[in-house]
Amino acid sequence: MSANPDTYTAFLTAQDARYAAERRWRRERMGGWLVAGGTAVVLAALLVIPLFLILSLLPWSPLPAGTWERLGVLLAGSVKAATCAVLVAVPIGLATAAFNAHFCAPRLRGWIKPAMEVLEAIPTVVLGLVAVAALAPWLKTNVATLLALIVIVPALLLAAGMAFGTQLRGQRGWLPLWLLPAVLAVTAAIIHIAAQRDGALIIPDSPWNAALVGLALGLAAVPLVFSIAEDALMLIPATQTQAALALGATRWQALMSIVLPAARPGLIAAIVLGASRCIGETMIVLMASGNTPLADPDPLSGLRTLSAELALGLPEAAPRGDTYRVLLLAALVLFGLTFALNVLAERARAALRRRSDAGVGAA
Amino acid sequence: MRRGAAGDAGTWLLAGAAAACLATMLMVLLLLGRAGLAPFWPAHIAELQLADGRGVLGEIVAKSKDTLVVRTTERDRIGSGYVRLAYDDVVAETRPPDAFVIALADGRRLFGRGDAAAASALLQGISASSAVEETFWPNASGLMARAGIFMRHAGRFLATSSSASAAVGGALPALVGTVTLVLLMSLIVMPFGIATAVYLHERRGVTAGLVRSAIGNLAGVPSIVYGVLGLGLFVHGFGANIDRLLYSAHQPVPTFGSGGLLWAALTLALLTLPVVVISVEEGLARIPASLRAGSLALGATRGETMWRLLLPAARPAVLTGLILAIARAAGAVAPLMLVGVVKLAPALPVDGEFPYLHPSRQFMHLGFAVYDAALASPDAVRGVPRAYAFALLLVGVVIALNLTAIVLRNRLRERYRALEV
Repeated sequence: MSANPDTYTAFLTAQDARYAAERRWRRERMGGWLVAGGTAVVLAALLVIPLFLILSLLPWSPLPAGTWERLGVLLAGSVKAATCAVLVAVPIGLATAAFNAHFCAPRLRGWIKPAMEVLEAIPTVVLGLVAVAALAPWLKTNVATLLALIVIVPALLLAAGMAFGTQLRGQRGWLPLWLLPAVLAVTAAIIHIAAQRDGALIIPDSPWNAALVGLALGLAAVPLVFSIAEDALMLIPATQTQAALALGATRWQALMSIVLPAARPGLIAAIVLGASRCIGETMIVLMASGNTPLADPDPLSGLRTLSAELALGLPEAAPRGDTYRVLLLAALVLFGLTFALNVLAERARAALRRRSDAGVGAA
Repeated sequence: MRRGAAGDAGTWLLAGAAAACLATMLMVLLLLGRAGLAPFWPAHIAELQLADGRGVLGEIVAKSKDTLVVRTTERDRIGSGYVRLAYDDVVAETRPPDAFVIALADGRRLFGRGDAAAASALLQGISASSAVEETFWPNASGLMARAGIFMRHAGRFLATSSSASAAVGGALPALVGTVTLVLLMSLIVMPFGIATAVYLHERRGVTAGLVRSAIGNLAGVPSIVYGVLGLGLFVHGFGANIDRLLYSAHQPVPTFGSGGLLWAALTLALLTLPVVVISVEEGLARIPASLRAGSLALGATRGETMWRLLLPAARPAVLTGLILAIARAAGAVAPLMLVGVVKLAPALPVDGEFPYLHPSRQFMHLGFAVYDAALASPDAVRGVPRAYAFALLLVGVVIALNLTAIVLRNRLRERYRALEV
């Protein structure tokens, strides 16, 4: 065909059209292959983690004596740190999620969620720094103050709620903003009063202890617990709450007897994922736990976790040496533990999703 | 009891928890802001009269119940000038207006009294092998002058390239290392993440289910395990083999066989894959099905629909995924400790020398600088404030990125609300 560009379109033949269609088809197939290939790489990369950990321990040769005892101590340390953190993160995270999903004024809700996301975005190394540089020196002499705070602040909140809750019910949606200065003031007052006394009532074994780790790690896990629990609570159809209110229940009764039971799998998932996150977290325990490899259930003594052992030991271990293999085994244990928890949580969430889909269908 | 009073009390408890969350977040951010900026503010120089007649000139750096620590002139090395005094020994504390401080480039500080001539005389008397960074009279400076000194210090912290030890010097190498690392990671993670999201969006089948559950379940694997994989597979596996094949002349000095920028970026890419895939897939799923159906009905192929219509419409979601990935990567320090982060790198990973980007080089990182300054510094009085300064910089970068993601997400929602009409 003569190649005069001005007349080109006028002389399009069936042949050209076929070529164009073929080109288009080739491009289509190539795009499909690129997408499938990229996905294959991703899948391979994700599956390589467990495969690598298992294969690198093969061919199996006996590990040095005392390996299992050491792993046991590290595992106990991980569990101890995670338990302390979960005790902090779960009550605060679940309570905040319940308030946010059920009572919160919509405009305030638009602020609490981003605030939680900002908290989640703070790198854990920074929380570790705060724990070790600011919190540890205070906690060293103030364990009793901390216990007092844990008891007095909720008790005061309950008492205040009893006294003023009914009159201020109209303001309930904005309550956190009113309580924010009050909580800060009460906390500051208790800390100030405690600082007047000389000497500590309870002296921890070590300034870097599980209680300190629990506070920092718990703070790191609060946003995760919050967001998963809130998602679960939001999945419960509003019609169910409205039905309960129409039958004469208070909002609190609707929450306790309708919403929470319906969302239970999601709340369990939130707790389990929070625990999983705490077990695997490295920087906070590395900085604030003292890294003492002793199994000791006392929350005021130090600990050493699987993750901290990996971070401290692996850079120095010679490849394929005994230490290296023990550390890989530790990584495998850590992986298996968190993976099992994640699978458990995913199942619970899937069950919740199925159930709520059915609920929407019925409504 | 009034009806529902117990319920009201319970509500107050829940609201208290929410308030405690907000309060803690505010306190942490305030603490970071204060402690992160304090190292740059010029402190007063105190002159302490002691009971035995001696005078001590310096900065008060720590106070406890009955003692205080003063940093005086560091004659021979950094950290050599600390004096601990009991309060009972101190008779009087003054702030002489003619007191000056000389900051040396190696981090030492010299204190003296008098004018510029006295300062140079003091410098003569000391084995000053190091260049003078600046001399100033903090006690005589007004608020504006002190703010100027503060700005100068902060600017120097941000812009100083490198120095002989990790205890002094600026944040520039760590900042450059962090930024280079996350950019390289983004280049690796984005194509694969988007391809996977497209696959998950287009296909429903056994493979798609497998990919989905792999991403769902591996998203929660601890970051340190990714670091173990990076060390064992990338560094000791791929890296050692690359060295054997391509760099045999350099053996046994490792090139790619030790931790470096490339391996760290690959590790972080693996770590952030789920974030990208989930975010992009969510964005694709939000696009109304009518758009796609219309495009297909007009004769476009599935690939053309995806490339020309759906992906452009999901652009904010792609950006959100990228930003969240960057924020997560910038905060992940533990895996880096295994794959090539160092407290003091001899050279930046990017420079003017061909090939400009050096993927095998070790690098510095803001997060690791926080850890190192807080725990491994020989001079804790300087280390902890430095750690706070690094932490403030890191948090600033990460929170700015996250806020951008939040704003983008809200815009995205607005956009689809408009589409649905």
